[in-house]
Amino acid sequence: MLLPRLRRFARALARDVHDADDLVQIAVERALTRSAQLRPDAPLSSWMFGIVRNAWLDELRARGRRTRLFAPEESAERIGDGSQGAHADLLAVQDALARLPEEQRAAVALVLIEGLSYKEAAHVMEVPIGTLTSRLARGREALQEMLGESTGALR
Amino acid sequence: MNFSDETVMAYADGELDAASRAAVEAAMATDPQLAQRVARHRALRERLRAALDPVLDEPPPERLLEGVRGAPAPRHAANVVALKRKAAPRWSWPQWGAIAASLVGGVLLGPLLLRAPAGAALVTRDGQVLASGVLARALTEQLASDQPRGAPVQIGVSFRARNGDYCRTFVLREQSALAGLACRGREAWRLEVLAQAPAQPAAAADYRPAGSALPASVARTLDELIAGEPLDAAGETGARARGWKP
Repeated sequence: MLLPRLRRFARALARDVHDADDLVQIAVERALTRSAQLRPDAPLSSWMFGIVRNAWLDELRARGRRTRLFAPEESAERIGDGSQGAHADLLAVQDALARLPEEQRAAVALVLIEGLSYKEAAHVMEVPIGTLTSRLARGREALQEMLGESTGALR
Repeated sequence: MNFSDETVMAYADGELDAASRAAVEAAMATDPQLAQRVARHRALRERLRAALDPVLDEPPPERLLEGVRGAPAPRHAANVVALKRKAAPRWSWPQWGAIAASLVGGVLLGPLLLRAPAGAALVTRDGQVLASGVLARALTEQLASDQPRGAPVQIGVSFRARNGDYCRTFVLREQSALAGLACRGREAWRLEVLAQAPAQPAAAADYRPAGSALPASVARTLDELIAGEPLDAAGETGARARGWKP
């Protein structure tokens, strides 16, 4: 079942659950209206991940426009420290992901969370493999830095 | 031997060829630092997965399922305003069905086949989705008025379409339940629509004369296609005897 995976991927990109589901909804609509573009030899999942990510890029561009036109940069939402357990961990991870440059975040989400091969992830992001691996390496390093202590503590 | 960060990362991600992999593993046996670098990469992956995997177990919101089924659904739209709604998708087999089925059903069709259920019930050929395996057999042989309890396919309504073809609705209970409507072409049953079926209580195995339990998209397709009334038991038996030929 692909829908839950798309939701997980969108959550890694967008953090906010409603924004993430909006991305998935947009992606589903686009996929269904563009189904003729689907190449029979390409896995559907890669194609869908690409659509989710492009929807996210559109959204980021739109936010950039809105911010420039209407409002000063909003400060990032702070995470409640009252949260416990798995939910707190999700928030900590999403917070760290949100601080990565988008291209690193997408590379990390596709390879480390969605389990795509480098080749598949490069295909989704429409970049050469070398570009993908360097984004992945940089994203990883930054995450280690941000999540470092607790990652080390986790065996 | 010194391995670059990229190589260590590729090793941890299972991206190295056999020879390089063996070299890293041999070195790891005597180099605890190298082993630790690998472990760090793996720990990060585990940490990310542990944080985000619970999303997989959340039931997808209804609006997403509606979107997949092709029904217009309101969007949350607090932040995402830049993206205009597209017109509701139109039925266009086979891609629509393949996408929708794989999004919600775990079934991928034809060339998209990733995880085929045993005896794949659907195949694509020449741009059409056709019934095969248990589904084709049930569509050809099973009578709605006399179907085995617990059979993998339950036939719903049989009818003649306006073009003269015989069509039948069904629920496929392999994997998650899928409901659909197929029409008999010259050689095979051609799928017109496929949707995720509502959860099937055990009682659903009983014969239902009307399309009451059908997902909206299937019921809508039935309404569009049907000429006259659904076949009764005698009409169904007669049509089967003629091999479902118009």
